[in-house]
Amino acid sequence: MTNSRTSMVDLVTRWLILGLLIVYTIYNVGPIFWLILSSFKSRMDLFTMPPKLFFTPDFSGYQSVFGVGAAKDSASSVGVFDSLVNSIIVSVAGTSLAVFFGTLAGYVCSRFNFRGKGDFMFFVLSTRMLPPVAVLVFYHLMFARLGLADTRFGLVLVAIFANIGLATWIMKGFFDGVPKEVEQIAIVNGYTRMYAFTRLVLPMVKGGIAATAGFCFIFAWNEFAFASILTTTQAKTLPVKISAASGATGIEWTQICAAGVVLIIPVLIFFYLIRKHLLMGMTFGVLGRR
Amino acid sequence: MAAADAPITPEGQAAAHAARQAKLRKRSSGRLMIFGFLSPSLAILLFMVAYPVFSLVYYSFFNFSALRQATMKPVGLKNYTFLLSDPELWERFVFTGKFVFICVTLQMLIGIFVGYQLQKNFRGRDVIFTILMMPMMLSPVVVGFLWRYMLNSEWGIVNFLLSSVGLPKVDWLGQTNAALWAAAAADTWMWAPFIALLATAAFRGIPETIYEAAEVDGASPAYRFFRITLPMSAPVLFIALILRLIDSFKQYDLFVALTGGGPGSSTETVSYAVAKTAFSYFYTGEASALAVILLLIITGLSLILVRHLTKMSEKY
Repeated sequence: MTNSRTSMVDLVTRWLILGLLIVYTIYNVGPIFWLILSSFKSRMDLFTMPPKLFFTPDFSGYQSVFGVGAAKDSASSVGVFDSLVNSIIVSVAGTSLAVFFGTLAGYVCSRFNFRGKGDFMFFVLSTRMLPPVAVLVFYHLMFARLGLADTRFGLVLVAIFANIGLATWIMKGFFDGVPKEVEQIAIVNGYTRMYAFTRLVLPMVKGGIAATAGFCFIFAWNEFAFASILTTTQAKTLPVKISAASGATGIEWTQICAAGVVLIIPVLIFFYLIRKHLLMGMTFGVLGRR
Repeated sequence: MAAADAPITPEGQAAAHAARQAKLRKRSSGRLMIFGFLSPSLAILLFMVAYPVFSLVYYSFFNFSALRQATMKPVGLKNYTFLLSDPELWERFVFTGKFVFICVTLQMLIGIFVGYQLQKNFRGRDVIFTILMMPMMLSPVVVGFLWRYMLNSEWGIVNFLLSSVGLPKVDWLGQTNAALWAAAAADTWMWAPFIALLATAAFRGIPETIYEAAEVDGASPAYRFFRITLPMSAPVLFIALILRLIDSFKQYDLFVALTGGGPGSSTETVSYAVAKTAFSYFYTGEASALAVILLLIITGLSLILVRHLTKMSEKY
């Protein structure tokens, strides 16, 4: 009697969960599908009612993003390809440096106790909490004075500062997962701490470094607030460039959708490659050692 | 201690001395490592955060515009008193608060639910996992434009789907309340996967043996979830909550692309107001004061939350 009732409850719960999952999947995947579909639509097909699922694909959005083909010379695609190049340079350089510094800081925070450690950790985290627009009020002046305004170098600096906090915290979590005995044994055997760090500990957190880089890359690659205020012509990144693609002809939806697809591809590949590490150690070291 | 107990012989003293030296050397190499490894981060952060924040506080006491940098007039607390007595600012705080509350609640619920389903091992999980994570890989600006495009009242797909099942069309971005929910839907679409990711990682970190022990005691699935899974991953979920709370509080990019602050100025977050004051009106002094207020709130909030987190993770 009780048995059949619990199995009824189980069955209902299972159907309910399945239903919710289906609803969520539609909500989650639908817009992505619509983004990809719309990136191939011509101006005519974008606004037709009812919306078309089948149409002759139009590549003008992609052409203007990559600066090739017929759409290359249209007013809205001038400089879009340059902004893609800027995006790549700024986010690759910014991510590598942020991860490098964050790894060093994360290691020290995981292994040593020093005065002011708690304060340092909070200060580092607080930079992640900082609203970009707040510091931008001053950056705007500072960058102009230092000649950093509208330069890639300035944006790289911003990318480092914006991601170093997250990198430090995630890396600390991964270092916490490596037993302290690794260094202790190395030191007992006459190796230096530096050797133990570079040759023994670092290889053990390779996956963690990849996961950290993945996260920092997402944020640097998609960053908008800083880049939109600190660049004017030369150093514009792709997210900034496309947001300005609403000129006299109205918003260039096809171009925005195509840029969105182009922007997501590198992240998607990266993400798929590091998925295992994202699922293993993204616990910031707050769960203790298990 | 052992060295002190030993008879005082030259050899014993020499050995104790050598041991002390070695200890000292080790400690100073540790010091060197701490200093060397932290200083680059510290230098960048001091230059990029501490210096701007101090300057911001300084500017907030001046009547000052970035366009006319020669004329800086000290006005004391006037910028603050003006802002705090401005009813529009309070409206922005209320709007931001509503937005944060809706976003964080939805994202935590969805994220934990989806994360719990994703922690199970099933065929094709990696591919499904990656696909579900796609919204958070997009640029917030693209997300804003995409939702603006889908929510267009005349030719947007959302209204088309609504009317095709017989529901009335909604002017999503033309009404304050609808725009609030539209923005929350877009933000949740983008960030619920992030919570799901962290939740999955946390859930998978729970040792299988604990579940097995519960199984032996005949625990129900609900008991497993509420009494084991949730409490054991609480610190990570709390970090996820902190990150989303703060991030949605300072949300700016999404509104630039989705609503442009409109209709009117009804969907302007506090961040949006700072940007508008500083870069459209160029009231740099006033914008600095508003930025300082925003910073104080966010720092205070994160201080409380992080302290709570430290207390929480000490239990584990």
